[in-house]
Amino acid sequence: MTNENALSVQTERNEKAVIVCPVGRVDGSNVGVLESAIRELLDAGQKTLIFDFEELNYISSAGLRVLLVTARRTQAEGGKALFCGLAEHIAHVFEISGFTNILTICQSRSEALAAL
Amino acid sequence: MTTSPVRLLVVDDEEDLELLIRQKFRRRIRKGEFDFVFAHNGQEALEKLAENPDIHLVLSDINMPVMDGLALLSKLEDTNPDVQAVIVSAYGDMENIRTAMNRGAFDFVTKPINFDDLEITIEKTLNHIRALETAQEARDRLVVLKRELDVAQQVQMSALPKEIPSSETHDVQALMIPALEVGGDFYDFFPLSDELIGLVIADVSGKGIPAALFTLMTRTLLKGTARDSPSPADCLSRVNDLLAEDNETCIFITLFYGVFDLRDGVFRYSNGGHNPPRLVRSDSRIEEIPPTENLVLGIAPGHEYRNGEVRLAPGDALFLYTDGITEAQNTNDEEFGEERLDTKLASLGQVSARDIVTTVVDEVRAFAGDAPQSDDITCIAMRFAAPLSSSTVDGT
Repeated sequence: MTNENALSVQTERNEKAVIVCPVGRVDGSNVGVLESAIRELLDAGQKTLIFDFEELNYISSAGLRVLLVTARRTQAEGGKALFCGLAEHIAHVFEISGFTNILTICQSRSEALAAL
Repeated sequence: MTTSPVRLLVVDDEEDLELLIRQKFRRRIRKGEFDFVFAHNGQEALEKLAENPDIHLVLSDINMPVMDGLALLSKLEDTNPDVQAVIVSAYGDMENIRTAMNRGAFDFVTKPINFDDLEITIEKTLNHIRALETAQEARDRLVVLKRELDVAQQVQMSALPKEIPSSETHDVQALMIPALEVGGDFYDFFPLSDELIGLVIADVSGKGIPAALFTLMTRTLLKGTARDSPSPADCLSRVNDLLAEDNETCIFITLFYGVFDLRDGVFRYSNGGHNPPRLVRSDSRIEEIPPTENLVLGIAPGHEYRNGEVRLAPGDALFLYTDGITEAQNTNDEEFGEERLDTKLASLGQVSARDIVTTVVDEVRAFAGDAPQSDDITCIAMRFAAPLSSSTVDGT
């Protein structure tokens, strides 16, 4: 059972980074969609990613794992992963899990771009 | 791939077909690709099939004495369902051909036989047979995997603590409903001494076998560490270091571990990125166990975990849970949420730990209704009845 319809991943190219916007919900059944979209970008040589979670309704722990792997890989390749646009309940998940301390969280997309 | 020849059965009452077949396919017979077995009527064909269980393709005429080709097809459906038949019939004999197809023939060729066409038909039928065999093997493997998953589930469930009888001082009860055969949640409770009880609840990222392996590993590490150090933070720091070593997959676990002191009601705990448990006061006030602002386990070696402390009075209860409770969805995609949880906990009054967990889980399931369960649901409740007095210690 996959729930691929519940998630689409849109990307926008900026001169400084690629902005990744997951739309919908990321859970165990469709996390592969997000994972392969990210892998495609990184395999193509993209080093810096900004995740804009404006349109993200829900992310499960399986999705958080993919974000960790991405942060680790971009760092290892001399790039960076930033996260912005977190709705209140998603920010809450990041806080409880302690991810706010290990991932770079920005208020907005412009703040994320300025941080690069 | 098999190196032995593919054995085919040819059924025809005309003796010269045998010669013709041997002649036309002589190269493939010599190369060891094909091996033909011959029968002269349906009855004989069934006997040959019984003698040669490796035959999966039958090439059969329709008009034959004793048992004709159509009767043979009917028999094959029952006795040899894995055998595919190609019918040989006179050109224009559409009625018989239709009957043969309806009785399960895979294909047909017409007389006089065009041997190039026959060879293509045989190859096509053999490919079909191989595809069926591959599908069957895949199904068999799935059955084996399913059986192994069932065993894995038994191993996982048997690793959970058995019920402990309630005592004058306290009672503990846990409830877990995995979403898949093997889950990514676990709980544990164990006495560390006559006075101290350890309580654990945890949730691994993801589900299935990888998550199950990670939970078993974490549970074992924590239980081992818990005996060496009375400080929950110390235990989490050590377990985290061990889990984080070479963890390239970034599988992580949120884990809450606390030690309850039956003498004075003090609960010392450390929270590795897990949903904060609830303290249900005897007057039904609900308090969130204050966070220790710590990270999930498994991804940052060297992370220093901190202790927190709350004190329970007799009549107070602790409720530990995983996000399978608060994130349970109903058919309108609404989440159960912390508010509903707290409201339910506040409405319970002085009930046993068993009543706390069953009532909350029943409430969650009633809320979810027909919506599928997407995550493991796990919770533990512990009610503190009375402090351990020296006489109680003497009495045990």
